[in-house]
Formats: sequence, C-alpha cells, structure tokens
Amino acid sequence: MKRLFSGALLTMVAASSMLVACSNNSATPSTTPGGANTAPTAAPQEKVKLTMGSWRTEDAEAYTKIIAEFKKNNPNIDIEFKPIKNTEYNTALNTGLQSGNGPDIIHLRPYAAGAALADAGYLEPLTSVKGMDVFSKDTLLAATGTDGKVYGVPTVFSSTQVFYNKKIFQKYNLTEPKTWDELLKTADTLKSNKVTPFAFGSKEGWILSLTQGTLAPSVYGTDFIKKILAGEANFKSPEYVSSIKMLKDMTPYFPDNYVGIGMDDMRNMFVSEQAAMMVMGDWEYAVMKKTNPDLQMDVFPVPPMKADGKATVTTWVDGSFSVNAKSAHKAEALKFMEFLTTKEFGALAVNELQKPSTIPGVAANDPLVAKIAKNADTISTPYASVVYFNAGNPTTKSTLENSIQGMYLNKLTPEQVTEEVQKSADTWFKPKK
Amino acid sequence: MNNFAKSTWWKKGAVHLFPVPALAVYILFVIYPILSAFGYSFYDWKGHTRGEFVGLGNFVSLFTKEPFNHLFWNAFGHNLYYFAVEMAVQNVIAFVLAYLVYSKLKGSNFLKMAYFLPRLLSVIVVGFLWKLMLNPNNGIVNVLLKKIGLVSWAKPWLGDPTYALTSITLVNSWFGIGFSMLIFLAGLHAISTEVIEAARLDGVKGLRLIRSIILPMMSQSLIIITVFTFIHAFEAFELIYAMEGSQGEPYNSTDTLAVFFYRIAFGGSSGGDSVALGLGSALAVVLFFIIATISALFLYFTRNQSAQ
Repeated sequence: MKRLFSGALLTMVAASSMLVACSNNSATPSTTPGGANTAPTAAPQEKVKLTMGSWRTEDAEAYTKIIAEFKKNNPNIDIEFKPIKNTEYNTALNTGLQSGNGPDIIHLRPYAAGAALADAGYLEPLTSVKGMDVFSKDTLLAATGTDGKVYGVPTVFSSTQVFYNKKIFQKYNLTEPKTWDELLKTADTLKSNKVTPFAFGSKEGWILSLTQGTLAPSVYGTDFIKKILAGEANFKSPEYVSSIKMLKDMTPYFPDNYVGIGMDDMRNMFVSEQAAMMVMGDWEYAVMKKTNPDLQMDVFPVPPMKADGKATVTTWVDGSFSVNAKSAHKAEALKFMEFLTTKEFGALAVNELQKPSTIPGVAANDPLVAKIAKNADTISTPYASVVYFNAGNPTTKSTLENSIQGMYLNKLTPEQVTEEVQKSADTWFKPKK
Repeated sequence: MNNFAKSTWWKKGAVHLFPVPALAVYILFVIYPILSAFGYSFYDWKGHTRGEFVGLGNFVSLFTKEPFNHLFWNAFGHNLYYFAVEMAVQNVIAFVLAYLVYSKLKGSNFLKMAYFLPRLLSVIVVGFLWKLMLNPNNGIVNVLLKKIGLVSWAKPWLGDPTYALTSITLVNSWFGIGFSMLIFLAGLHAISTEVIEAARLDGVKGLRLIRSIILPMMSQSLIIITVFTFIHAFEAFELIYAMEGSQGEPYNSTDTLAVFFYRIAFGGSSGGDSVALGLGSALAVVLFFIIATISALFLYFTRNQSAQ
C-alpha cells in the first residue's frame, strides 16, 4: 500500500513537472509598432516610472548622469537603472522575459545573442524612432533581427588596438610604427634590450581571437572578410592562412612560457613595465590606470603591411538598448531610445562610460580616450569573429580560439587551424551571394 | 472518545500526514529540478525559448556529432584520470599517514590536525593559492626550481596540456588527504585490538599484518573511500574552474564532464556566446546516471557486507 502510494505520488509529480517544463511559453508578440511618438505637449502629464536593465554594474554612476540629462527634456519620465552582474544578466533577463515582465528598457547583447531575443518576439522594433540614421549599417547590425528590422540603439563600441609604454619607447628612441616592418623592428630593438616586446599569453582563449581580430586585418586587408561573407573566399584562402601564420611568427616577441600566461599576468607585465606593448581592448585602460596611476601609456593603431596602406583598429558594438515589447510604457521608453541617438548622449557616453561612442564626431576629454574614440570613428574594421562568426555550437569564434591555442602548443599547423575554422563555419554559415 | 483514541486507522492516517511538509519541500527543490532537467534534455533549448522537441536528438549528438562526441570521451577520460590519481596518490598517502597516527607516533594529535588543515580552506582559495604558486614565470615552484639549477624542469604547469591536468589532480590530492586520512583512521580504530594482538603474538608483523589483517578488517572504510573518491572525481569542477577557468584550457586538456557541461550549457564567460541548455541537460542526465549507477553498486555491496 505504502509503496503504491509513493509510486503514484512520484508519477504524479513527474507528470506535472514535465507538463510545467514543457508547457508552451513562447510569447506571441504584438506586431504593431509602439505608440506613435507624440511631441511632448505643454499640458502636465502624469509621471511614469521605467526600469532599465543592464549588465554594467560598474557604470551605475554614469547612468545616473545620463538619466538626469534625459530628464531635462522629459521631466515626467523617471528611469530606474537596475544592473545585474555581467555573468548572470542573460539568465536573469531570459527568466524575466519568459514570465512576461523584465525591464522596460533592455540592455541588449550585441549581434547573434541580441538577435535571438528579437526573433523570439520580446523586443519592440524601432522603426518609428527618429535619429537612427546617424548610425552606419555595420553598427546597426549589432541590433538587427533576422527579419532585417532594427531592434536596439547601439550605444558604445569596444575597440582593440596596441597599447604601448611611452617611457620605454622614449628610452630606446622608438616611435609609433607606421608599417608592419617597423613594428617588427621595434619589437626586435626591445627584445635585444631585454624588454618583453608584447605582453601576451595563450592560456585564455578569448585573448587569442582578440589578438587575431586586431592584427589580422593588416595581413589580409580590410576587405577580405567581406569576400568571405559574399562567398568569394573562405577561411582556407591564402590570405587567411597567412594571417594565422603571422600569429605563429610573432612567438619570438612573446614572454617566456607564454602558453601558461593569462590576462592577469599580461596586465601585470604591462603595468609593471616589464613589457612594452600589449594588444588589448579599450576597457583595460581604466583598470590599468587604477593599478598603476604613474604608468605613461598610449595607443597606436595596427600598422599596414605597406607604407601606402591604411592602419586599422578593430571595433564591435558593445551593447544596445531596446524596448521590451511587453512594456506598459512603450511610448516613454521609445522617447529614451530617441535620446540615445543624440550628440548629448554621445558626449556622455565618451566621458562617463569612457568608451568610443557609436555617434560620429563626439570628442572626449581624456586625451587617450579621445584618441581611441577618433580611431574607432575613422579607421575601424569590424571584429569579424564577434560580428559575423559568433554562431554555431560550439561557435566558430571558440573553434578559432581553441585551434590557435593548439597551434601555439605545436599540436596544429596554421593550415590545420584554418581547416578547423572552416569546418565549424560550414555547419551553419551561408554566404550571401 | 475512547473508541476514537483506540481506532488505529486514524493513527495510521496521521502518520502519513507528518512527512507531508518535508516531502513537499523535497519535491519542490530536489525532485522537480531533477525531473525538469530530464524534460529539458528532450528539447533544443536555448535559454529564452524552449525550442523544438527533438526527442533523443541531444543524446544522439552528444555521442555521434563532431566535436561533441570526442569532447565527451575526452572529458570522461579526464574524470577517470582524476579518479585514478586520487586513488593512487591521495588515498595511498592518506592510508600511510593514518597508519602512522594510529601507531601512536609522538604528537599524533598535532599531526592529525596538520594533515587536515588544507581541508579547512575553501576549494576556491586552494585553487587560487596554487595558481599563484604555479605561475610559470614568478610562481614559487618555478623560481625554486631555477634557483637549484633545474632550469629545464620549470614548466608552465597550468598552461601546457602535458602537465595541466596532472598539476590540478595533484593539488586536489594535497587538498583531500586529510579527509581520507580521517576516514581511514576511523576504520583502523574500529578494528578490535584483540585480533591485532592475537596476530602479533602469532608473529605477524609489518606489511603482512597490514595486508592480511588490517586491510580486510577495514573493508567498509575502503569501500566508502572508493565511492566517495569516484563521486568526487566525477563531479570535479570547482578546483579546475579556479585554476583554469571554464573553457577546458589549455586546449581541452582540463575538461572534465562538469566543466564541459558548464561550457555547453552556459557558453562563454560574458554570456555573449550561444548557449545550448538542451544539450547541456542531456549531458547532465548522462552524468547523473554514471554517478547513480556507481552509487547503486556501492549500496548493493555494502548491504552484502553488513549481511555477513
């Protein structure tokens, strides 16, 4: 009897939980675009409170200023900035959206991850927002769904370039290299003076795709990735193979035991002035300044192969803001979207968030941030692994990282690396003929 | 009233009511999550939408689709290696230490504490401490090796796939010795002293005593240790995460099943990568069955033990 009872109970629980786990919860989104943007009327309107989700807990102060700026023209709209830790943001947001709430204004991950939310119908298309024309098509790609509609306003770029130590460069009479050969000569000079040329380590995968994404455009040219997208070339093309070979050829300029070195060690080497250069993203600037306030650092773009070529920095959109399709105050949230396309916001982004703004032509107060922002504005190449090839399972980006790691451990040749990457891309990538 | 108190059906019924609150909590927080993981493993689940029903598709890809199939067996092999090192290094040393303490060595109480000390640290702390000590260029291990002239011995312990997993398993053994030692010590103390005295009078000494008398008499704790070690080895995650991160670095050489699961279920560290929670759930189910099977065998064996 007892056994029967517990058996029945278990079956019941199993059945019900299966039902819950499998109950259909895909939201049917409203396909009508949000409320028309009525200009603010003079009549006093009732106060509305919006919530704004984000993964940038460290930017709470900056967003307070941004929201204050927005309120100057929209006194009836309150916005509460509610960030969640970076690594847990996606999970929390997904749970919120599934249960039909979530913040009114959503901080959207760029490219594939953001498009997935748009495709699932959680986001409001921004077809009616004024001012979206300031962004280039490449920039808007970060918040475009597979239906071709734009679902978010891109706010800031991340940008990768070469950081260098001014003091060490002065000591050995070195200047910012203008060609690839000069860069190698610079590295040789440093090496002969017992200074590690590049703070670099291959222990952490993301460093490898970042380094490849930064340096490779100089090898295969800034138009090569477009050829891959159009199906005129692929990862096994000689241009791409030579970009991977270049990474292998840089090994003499890396620190001892670089296969065992991760980001923390790299940062330590650079801020303690043991290494003179580091290929790195702009976000490390603030961290390094904090770690060693006396460090005299500067940046230069990756020099071209030939003197008549173009130097490049590599950029991608770091995030966008979107409107929750289920928000009770869509019209007000869309107002904020409009504000995000203005120069006022661009200036705040550059000076408060200390990142290159997506809005062209805004200047920063900090000279180094200004330099990074100007390069991102004028001579940038999209970070191909993140912008175009971060899909598949495992992603083509992580396959590239893993294979380059294998190459540095002498398990794969550069040709084999490109074969692995191609194999991964073949599982999902279709060129747009 | 009297009749009521005597009526046994009421008592029997009430007895069934008492566990209900506890059972409800258990069902909500243990049974339900486990079953929903089973449920999710049949879907192409991406985290924000449930995706399509794929039946056993996730299990099929896990065992037949590149690169998952070879990554799965790669990780499985690492779990076995983890188990082997824990058995061969941690438990053998732990037994020797337990035997020394048991043999009334001077200061054995102090030694008991000393051996158990690492266990008092959090796994994450241990991971970071050793990560610093094993740093290829300025970690104390390599600095000392270079000092005494063994320059070629100074390897990137955590960065070279040849040594990475071994380094981690040895740190893990260093961490676990104290725990195994205590279990062994309890087992040794449980052996009746008369038996050992009798054996000694018959002239049994040293290794022979250990092999023929002590080990058979503490078979219970040997089984417990073996099973604990197995479960621990197949759940290995925290230490690897602290020392290497979640990507199975370097070059998939420190992937265990749990690390591999973390990677496919939660993608990259910044959450920007694709997640495959359905596939991850399928792997979790497989891992669950591996551990459940072993635990069942263990229960079966120990039941036989006590019946003897």
